[in-house]
Amino acid sequence: MQLPADDGTRGVSSVAQAGMPPAAVVEARMTRCLVVDDDAEIRRSLDAYLQKFSVTVSAAADGREMRRLMAMQVFDVVVLDLMLPDENGLTLCQWIQQHHPSVPVIMLTAHGDPISRVLGLEMGADDYLAKPFEPRELVARIHAIRRRARRGDHEAQTRREFRFEGWAFDRLLRQLVSPQQVVVPLSSAEFRMLSALVERPGRVLSREQLIELTRAPGVEVNDRSVDLTISRLRQKLGDSPKEPRLIRTMRGEGYLFDAQVQA
Amino acid sequence: MNGPTRGQRWFAAWREQLGRAFGDTLARRLFLLLWVTLVAAQALAIGVVTWSRGEFAAARVPGAPSLPPLPGLMREPPHPSGPQGPQGPQGPQGLQDPRSEPPPEDPGHDVPLPGDLPMPSRDEFHGFPPPPSAQPQAQAPPWRGPFRALTGWELTLDYGIRLLVTGLAAWIASRWLARPMRDLVRASQALGQSLHKQEPLPLLDERRGTLEVRESAQVFNAMARQLRRQFNERGLMVAAISHDLRTPLTRLRMRLETLDIEELQRQRSVEDIREMNALVDAVMELFRGDGPGAAEPLQDVDLGALAQALTDDLVEQAMPVIFEGGDARVLAKGQPMALRRVLGNLIGNAVRYGGRAEVQVGRDAQGPWLRVTDAGPGIPADQLEAVFEPFYRLEESRNRHTGGAGLGLYIARELTLRQRGSLVLSNRPEGGLTAELRLTA
Repeated sequence: MQLPADDGTRGVSSVAQAGMPPAAVVEARMTRCLVVDDDAEIRRSLDAYLQKFSVTVSAAADGREMRRLMAMQVFDVVVLDLMLPDENGLTLCQWIQQHHPSVPVIMLTAHGDPISRVLGLEMGADDYLAKPFEPRELVARIHAIRRRARRGDHEAQTRREFRFEGWAFDRLLRQLVSPQQVVVPLSSAEFRMLSALVERPGRVLSREQLIELTRAPGVEVNDRSVDLTISRLRQKLGDSPKEPRLIRTMRGEGYLFDAQVQA
Repeated sequence: MNGPTRGQRWFAAWREQLGRAFGDTLARRLFLLLWVTLVAAQALAIGVVTWSRGEFAAARVPGAPSLPPLPGLMREPPHPSGPQGPQGPQGPQGLQDPRSEPPPEDPGHDVPLPGDLPMPSRDEFHGFPPPPSAQPQAQAPPWRGPFRALTGWELTLDYGIRLLVTGLAAWIASRWLARPMRDLVRASQALGQSLHKQEPLPLLDERRGTLEVRESAQVFNAMARQLRRQFNERGLMVAAISHDLRTPLTRLRMRLETLDIEELQRQRSVEDIREMNALVDAVMELFRGDGPGAAEPLQDVDLGALAQALTDDLVEQAMPVIFEGGDARVLAKGQPMALRRVLGNLIGNAVRYGGRAEVQVGRDAQGPWLRVTDAGPGIPADQLEAVFEPFYRLEESRNRHTGGAGLGLYIARELTLRQRGSLVLSNRPEGGLTAELRLTA
C-alpha cells in the first residue's frame, strides 16, 4: 500500500529541488561524491549510474576507509549508509560534521521508519533516503544539496521546524501544531505550499512562482490547485477567508505570508 | 542517616522474621486470622457485656470473660456447686438467659452462636429429665434477678460487638490477604504498556508476603524479564530481516537501471520491488513498537484535518476518495503518524475492494469517530472479525493483484488499540462496507 505518510522525507528536499532547472545542466563541473556502503555491488552500480549524471564516485566499504579517503581529498557530498560493519553511520555522520563541516551528508538506510529518519537528521545528516531508493531520486537529492551548498541557503531549507504566531510547522512529520497544542496534519500539497511560504515570509509570491516552488514529481500543479491549497491552508490555520491575516491575498500580484517566522 | 537506616533494616528484618514465624504460608495465615478473630470477638463481646452489667464484674469474675463459652461450662450454671458456681457460669449465664426465656423458639435455631443453648440443654434432657431443669427454674429468680433486666439491649450489644469485630477483621484481613493479588493484577496491567514503551518493568517484591506470594512474584518477574528479552529480540530480528531484505532490493533496483531490457518489463519489475518493500514497511510498522524509544506520544489530533489531508493526497493521485467534513472541529487523542497509517490502510482497502472511499468525521456521546465507507460488495457477516487476523484474506481476493499481504486491517487495528481506540467493520444495509474508527476525546 502506497501511503503518502511514507515519503515524509521526500518533501523536505523536494522543496529545495522544486523550481530548479534540470540537474544535469546546472553542474558546471563534476560533483565529487563519496559513497560509503558495505555492499560491493551497490557501490559499483552507484558508481556506474551516477557517472551518467556528471557525478564522480569514490567508494568506501567502512568507516576506516571513509576517514582515510576524506583525509586525502575533498568531496562535495557523502552518501552514507546507516549500517556499516565497523561503525554506526550516525557516529560517522557526527565525525564528518566535526571534521568536515562543509561537506553535506545524505544518509541511506534500510530502516525506513520515521524514528531513524529523525535521528539521522538530528545527527547532522542533510538529507535522508530509505533503501531501496529510486536511483533518480538520489541524483535529484545530490544535486539539490549541491545547489543549496553553493547558494549558502543551507540552513533555512534543511531546518526541520518553523514557528510563527504560536504555530509550529514540523516539516519532518508534515504537520502543524496549533497554539492549543492540537496536531493538524497536512497534505503533501499543503506541506509544499507552506514550506515555500515560511521560507519566504514577507515576500509577495505570484501564482507562477508558487507553481514553480510547489512542483512535485507526478503531480500537476496549476493556478486552480494553488488557490485550492491556499484556501485549505487558511482553513487549517484558522485564517478567515474573508480577511486572512497569515496568508494574505495581494490583488493581481499573488500571495504574501505575513508572519514573523522563527526557527 | 545511618541510624534510621539501620533501624529500618532491623525493623524490616524483624518483620520478616515475624511474618515467617507466624504466617509463612497462606494456609497458616488464614488459620491464624480466623482463629484470632473469632477468639477476639468472643473475648471482647463477653468482656464488654459483663462489664456493662455494671456489676462489680471485676470482683466476681476474674478470669471467665476471656474464655469462650464452652458447652461444658454452660451446663454448670444450674448447679450452684461449690466455688465454681459463681465464677464460670456468670458470663455464659448472662447469654444463656435470653435464650432460655423463650424456649419454644430455640429448637428452630441451628446457628451455632455462642449464646445458643439448644444443644447443651437437649443433652441435659438426656442426663437429667425434668427435675434438673425445673430445679434451676425454681432456684433461678433470686440468682438471675440482676441479669434479667439487661437482656434486651445487652443481647444487641453482644451481637453487635461480635458482628463488628468479625466484620472489621474480615474486611481488614481480606484486603490484607488480597493485596498481593491486587499487586499482581496491577503489575500485569502495567506489563504490556511497559514492554511496548521500553519503560522499566513493573517487577514485584520477591521478599514480601507469604510463601505462595513470594513464589508467584518470582515467577512473574522471571516471566516479565523473559518477555522483555523476547520483545527486544523480536524487534532486533525484524530490523535485521528488513535490512537484509532491503539491501538486495536496492541491488535489484540499481541493476534494473543498468540492464538493457524492455521498458515495460523494467517498469513492472520496479513495481514488484516497490510492492515487496511495502510489505517490509508494513511489517516494520507493526514491530516498531517493540524497538527502543519507539512509542509516539498521544496528542490532540484534528481528525477532520487528518482526513482532509489524506483525501487531498489521494485525489492528487486521481484516486476516487471523497471527504465530507462538518464545520465543527473534531479533536481526538491519538498518535498522528500512526493515525495516518490507520486511515491510509482503511482508505486503501475501500478503494481496492469497494471501488471508492468516502470519509466522514464526527462526534457523538461516545466520543469522536471516523468512518470510511465504500461501494463494494461488503464482507460476509461471519467474517467481519476474521479479516482483522494477519494474512487473512477473503476467498475472492486470494489473487495477489487485488491486494497487499493481508496485513492492512491487522495493522490498522493494532495501531488503533495502542491509541486506546477501537476499529470495527460493518456492512451497510444499502450496500458497501463501513469501517468505523473510534478514539477517545
